[in-house]
Amino acid sequence: MKNRLRDLRAERGWSQADLAEKLDVSRQTVNAIETEKYDPSLPLAFKIAELFGMKIEDIFMANHKK
Amino acid sequence: MKTILQKAPGQWTVIFTALTWVLVYLLTRWLLDNDQLPEGLRIVVALAPMVPFAFFLAFMLAGIRSMDELHRRIQLEALAIAFPLAILFFMLLGLLELAIPLSPEDWSYRHTWSYLPLFYFLGLAIASRRYQ
Repeated sequence: MKNRLRDLRAERGWSQADLAEKLDVSRQTVNAIETEKYDPSLPLAFKIAELFGMKIEDIFMANHKK
Repeated sequence: MKTILQKAPGQWTVIFTALTWVLVYLLTRWLLDNDQLPEGLRIVVALAPMVPFAFFLAFMLAGIRSMDELHRRIQLEALAIAFPLAILFFMLLGLLELAIPLSPEDWSYRHTWSYLPLFYFLGLAIASRRYQ
């Protein structure tokens, strides 16, 4: 699954550690999501969306094209 | 026990309980190898490592439950590698036992169990590497 997490984080001037702290996860988890090695659970995706004040589908995009 | 584990244990707590378990195991081995204890007491001594192991297991589980979702997944993948390896190891050991004489001084359970944590750490290394 593709995502815009790195861009959104950079826009706010947050480090991976900053974002990890706000989401109550490890920095490795943030890095794995940003590099698209790991897809977050739905609760974590909601938490990320809430933090950035956006909808989940505006942050995470499916790989397949319709 | 529940009260102790309400707060997630730190990494060092888990390591300390693991070391305690290993120390009790080594002491047990020494007692069983060297002392002429009565049979009833030998059984009690042989089962003694269960006590520190129970603490180790409880703290490790509490630690895993306190991890974030990626690290819980890494733990799951580590076990998904380690468990089949353990099956393979004992299956091959059993077959080799039929094929050739294996010395109990080298290949008894008291030696072979120590390979199982190595499988877990191998699995952990592989799973961790995948998400770096």
